[in-house]
Amino acid sequence: MIAEQTLIAELKQTETQAKAFEMLVNTYKERLYWHIRRIVLNHDDTDDVLQNTFIKVYKNIHNFKGESKLYSWMYRIATNESLTFLKSKSKKLGINNAELQETMANNLKADVYFEGDEIQLNLQKAIASLPEKQKLVFNMKYFEELKYEEISSILETSVGGLKASYHLAVKKIEAFLKNE
Amino acid sequence: MKKGDKNSGFKIPEDYLDTFNDNLLNKIASEDQSSIPKNEGFKIPERYFNSLHKNITSKLEEKPTKIITLKSYKKYYYSAISVAAVLLLFFTIQPKKSNNISDLASSEIDAYFEDTDLGLSTYEIAEVIPVDDLELDDVLETTINDEDIVNYLDDNIDYINELNIESDEY
Repeated sequence: MIAEQTLIAELKQTETQAKAFEMLVNTYKERLYWHIRRIVLNHDDTDDVLQNTFIKVYKNIHNFKGESKLYSWMYRIATNESLTFLKSKSKKLGINNAELQETMANNLKADVYFEGDEIQLNLQKAIASLPEKQKLVFNMKYFEELKYEEISSILETSVGGLKASYHLAVKKIEAFLKNE
Repeated sequence: MKKGDKNSGFKIPEDYLDTFNDNLLNKIASEDQSSIPKNEGFKIPERYFNSLHKNITSKLEEKPTKIITLKSYKKYYYSAISVAAVLLLFFTIQPKKSNNISDLASSEIDAYFEDTDLGLSTYEIAEVIPVDDLELDDVLETTINDEDIVNYLDDNIDYINELNIESDEY
């Protein structure tokens, strides 16, 4: 993997852009895929959002100031794209966000790209019942194993707040799983 | 048993205290894992990631057409805005007509006085409006001819002398 600075410089130059973009996609596609998948849950929606994320990155790389790291900038775009996607989906279906989360988790049972057992299905239902912020933090910390500092720069919130959110999320999920 | 004898007969397994820390940590770790599973059960189509870059590039190539349609919309927006601006100017810059009382329909005037509380008593109105300039026809809707007046007086006044008002009574 080449250094981030070089990659950014190459992305901004027309001659090297295509190759650098391929490198960027190949480096980050899996991480971003799983990040988005944990928010929108089904594979087809994830594919849409992931492609849009990379297109946004490609088109806006000139505006990237380098104030944060490239990956946290991309994670931020992916998060925003996912949340926007869910908002428009709930609007289309005429239901609120909490109802959409519940429907999405219930739909997993029939999803061909979900092979989880009862426990894993319950885990998704438990995560779906969390408020948006706690859900994001829980997924990023527990499954993606990001550091608090990294999550903090992606979500632009304080580390202290994140720790509290994570703690609350874990407690709620444990309680949810115990009651099932 | 002597007082102060600390041996109460209990025994612990050898090495128990030496291995206690490790055992505790193992237990914590195993409990931590069992409470929330790490595996979520999500699957992805085979070879999905192999074709991803190609899909994105083809999407990027078809995007410019969309931008053109957006631009052409802009043209319509501009013309719509200019039409609106011209209309706005037309209605606001029109020269003000001087309003004459004759331009108003009498029904509008009637309606105005009926709907509006003028805040004037009849005495105040009487002060403002000079009685001498008023004709009977100004306040009556139907004209009364002289014959009608004479007939009325004939029927209602017993003594015609009552009407002989001396000029010095003014």
